Amino acid sequence: MNTSQWHDALRELTGVTGVLGALIVSADDGLVVAETAMDELATADVAALAAAVVSRAGRCTDAMRAGVPSSLHLAAEQGALLAMAGPPPLWLVAVARHDAELGRLRLLLRDFAGALR
Amino acid sequence: MRVLEPWVAAPLTEFLGESGARVALVMTSAGQVIAQHGFTRSLDVMSAAALGAGILATTDELAHILDARTGFGAVVHQGVRQGVWLAGFDTPRGRWIALVVFGPESSIGLVRLFFARFAEQIARAAPPLVPAREVLAEGFERELDQSLRALFGAS
Repeated sequence: MNTSQWHDALRELTGVTGVLGALIVSADDGLVVAETAMDELATADVAALAAAVVSRAGRCTDAMRAGVPSSLHLAAEQGALLAMAGPPPLWLVAVARHDAELGRLRLLLRDFAGALR
Repeated sequence: MRVLEPWVAAPLTEFLGESGARVALVMTSAGQVIAQHGFTRSLDVMSAAALGAGILATTDELAHILDARTGFGAVVHQGVRQGVWLAGFDTPRGRWIALVVFGPESSIGLVRLFFARFAEQIARAAPPLVPAREVLAEGFERELDQSLRALFGAS
């Protein structure tokens, strides 16, 4: 998948009902690699904090002797963050409202994250 | 942590805690140290302040040459085990510079995020500027000694 296809994938993700934004994040440095999002979504902040959560989750799964994490689902009162591991250090992250089509979003994230190469 | 301006301590403490940074140095654009955390030797602090101010001055000049009117926000050096974040920010006391060293427990993204908040807090917390007093020869050594003790301790 090239960068043009990355953006196509991100646009498809944001096309899912209730999705506010989708981004490819470098988990090593917490920076946005590519994004498609609504203006009100602070994607740089989300990327930095999502990368920190992924890092902590990695320590947790390491302590569990469960290997490296492959996905994260952070559910909040008004929304959710879904993240799927791509080829290191990339993670595909989506931010959605609480009433979004999370099942479909999860399937798309899994498919696109696996193709991020 | 050592601070020359006490009101800098709370925002800097919060920044260090949130970002996970290991070392921080806050200075004026001329290289005068305002606060430091993580340095153990005064010589290191002064050297880092001088070098950091020099790097940013060089970068600003480079931005000028390249006609980048807003300048460059920050300079980042990313190493294998640690990185350095160097950025200027405007305060009611003039333009200051922060030099931040972070390890693998943090990231450029986290430092960038919480540095922006730190700069905002500093701008809000700064007390009104008191007109500078005339420095008299008899008080100069005592005041210099007080400043050095505040930054580097009693040694």
